[in-house]
Amino acid sequence: MTKMRSDRLKIVFMLCLAFVTSGGKYFESKVAQLIRDETEDIKCFVEGKKDFTCFWEKEDGTNYSQDNYTFTYTYMNENKMDCAVSSLFLLSSNRSVFFCKLPKALFFTSLDVQVLRDGQMLYNRSLNVENILLTDPPRNVTVWSSGKEGQLNVSWLPPAVKYIDDSLIYEVRYAVEDSHMGKVEETKASTMLVLRGLQPDTRYKVWVRVKPDGVSYKGYWSSWTSPVIAVTPPGSMDPLIVLLVVFIILILCLLSMTVILSHHKFLLKKLWPDIPTPEHKFPGLFTVYKGDFKEWMSQNSGSMWARSVQMYTEELPSPLEVLSEVSLSPLDERKLVRDEDQRSDSGLTEPPHWLMEQLRALQENPESLSRSTLLQSHDTYITLNHSSGGQREDDVFEETLPLQTLFTSAGTSSINASHSDLGSLRQSSASGRLSSQSSFEDPNHPWPPKGPGYAYMAVADSGVSLDYSPMSSSRIIEIGKRSFYANEYKNEIFGYKWPFSAQQVQSGY
Amino acid sequence: MFHGSGLFALLLMVLEWTRPGLSSPLRPICDLRVLDHFIKEAWDAEAAMRTCKDDCSIATNVTVPLTRVDFEVWEAMNIEEQAQEVQSGLHMLNEAIGSLQISNQTEVLQSHIDASIRNIASIRQVLRSLSIPEYVPPTSSGEDKETQKISSISELFQVHVNFLRGKARLLLANAPVCRQGVS
Repeated sequence: MTKMRSDRLKIVFMLCLAFVTSGGKYFESKVAQLIRDETEDIKCFVEGKKDFTCFWEKEDGTNYSQDNYTFTYTYMNENKMDCAVSSLFLLSSNRSVFFCKLPKALFFTSLDVQVLRDGQMLYNRSLNVENILLTDPPRNVTVWSSGKEGQLNVSWLPPAVKYIDDSLIYEVRYAVEDSHMGKVEETKASTMLVLRGLQPDTRYKVWVRVKPDGVSYKGYWSSWTSPVIAVTPPGSMDPLIVLLVVFIILILCLLSMTVILSHHKFLLKKLWPDIPTPEHKFPGLFTVYKGDFKEWMSQNSGSMWARSVQMYTEELPSPLEVLSEVSLSPLDERKLVRDEDQRSDSGLTEPPHWLMEQLRALQENPESLSRSTLLQSHDTYITLNHSSGGQREDDVFEETLPLQTLFTSAGTSSINASHSDLGSLRQSSASGRLSSQSSFEDPNHPWPPKGPGYAYMAVADSGVSLDYSPMSSSRIIEIGKRSFYANEYKNEIFGYKWPFSAQQVQSGY
Repeated sequence: MFHGSGLFALLLMVLEWTRPGLSSPLRPICDLRVLDHFIKEAWDAEAAMRTCKDDCSIATNVTVPLTRVDFEVWEAMNIEEQAQEVQSGLHMLNEAIGSLQISNQTEVLQSHIDASIRNIASIRQVLRSLSIPEYVPPTSSGEDKETQKISSISELFQVHVNFLRGKARLLLANAPVCRQGVS
């Protein structure tokens, strides 16, 4: 019974010892940290109010065990005490240390520690326990987003050490995930921190560690906590920028609208030009006659031709003296003679009236007109006066060419001449100034046996511009005994003077 | 007769109402940053005194409090015991540092000494605001256990700073008045 009880006690004791020696879960990391950071031979740290540990490294090349070492400690005003030495092998750094866990930790008083190896002083150190505080890292680190752009809130719990809560400072390290560049922020006596100036919509890692503030307690930085990952809220457009952009767009729209409206006609013409229509040339064709060309033609025939001439010639209609090709009936001949007699007495004014009457007669008789239309060129001609001779021609060379126009029917010999004349006339009409004169010779004049008449001359060439000057158009020139009635009209064709129309005419003979 | 007593009573009442200075209840100073400020100044004094060893010697040994704190023991004590320990320690320090004013010291050291005296007085005010019992001189039963004898000024200022950091601070941190407000 007693043996069993003692065995159980031993087992319990061993377990407790094992638990004590192993310490907390951070014990080894703290030892490893102090091996790196502490320069003293005897490295000591207190984890809280009572876990006070001192250790030293195993000397290289030696094979001493813990039994070779003796550890003693002496508090001020107290007796020297011994401490049991244990050994520990650190897997992380592949090193071996000897350590002692002091049973009593007295703060705010001086302490002397010594290490003896085989009775010989190896190391010694004087320290204050409140100055070698090495706590566990902070607990329950949480990181969350408050919703504000570029901000994260971090909070944690201090290590579970009494009386020290208000004497601690914390360090928060944060970095973008997978980045090696981190920033550090320190906070005193506060277990919460707001990280600002972070990138939006980014994953961040956060670590925290703790250390006494150095006023009441001093010590070492704890190890970093395990990283906590959080995501910053996505960025939003700065409302001011959005407002400015909208404002600028509105202004641009207004400006463009103003420009378009002020020049809309011009723009419309450029972008949507009117399809040219000939409506203005055919007044009333589409509006009144609904496109019925025949109807429109019948209503507007005369003016249509004039317009057609206008359309094709693009010139003002020139007044023509039209002498109708009318076969004179004996009645008419007598009328002519009578009229002539009257005219020879009366003078200048009669012939034009007589001519106008004939013109009217011609108009009334469209049949006769048809025989002497523009198109029937063989009926219309201008011939010079053969019998005039050279002198006469010289006399009236410039101003009045004694043209004797004969009215003949188709088939006479003079036709050929007239053809050529007309041809020449045609030619001349295109190139020069033709001064032609129509005259009517009285029957007394020895003429070739062709009845007096008057030629119907029409010039259909577009190049002809007839200058029908009233002064020269009806002038009676009395040359000798004969009285002519000479109508002089000048064809001005592009200002080119053609004085030698006589030559042309002569060539026609 | 009655007029006389009546006047006297009236006079007492007036005096009671206009009694000068003192003992108007202080607002409790629970913020430990006040004490931390004093501790920092004590650190400066200790650092300054550390350098002077030969010049800084006291003629006679002085009694100063023990500064060691065993948390297990400390937590086992009640508030009155803790208060008594702190108050007696402050008293001893005040006397010890005050005795230094007598001898001739340099200006720097004198300024530190003056600052320490002022700070001890301020700490006493803080304790009074927290309704901590005042110092009661020990009965003549024997020497106080929690004392020690020192012989150098540097040791004195070491004790001074350690005492403030330790016992004095622990007492202030656990003052019942402050804990009532927090919890």
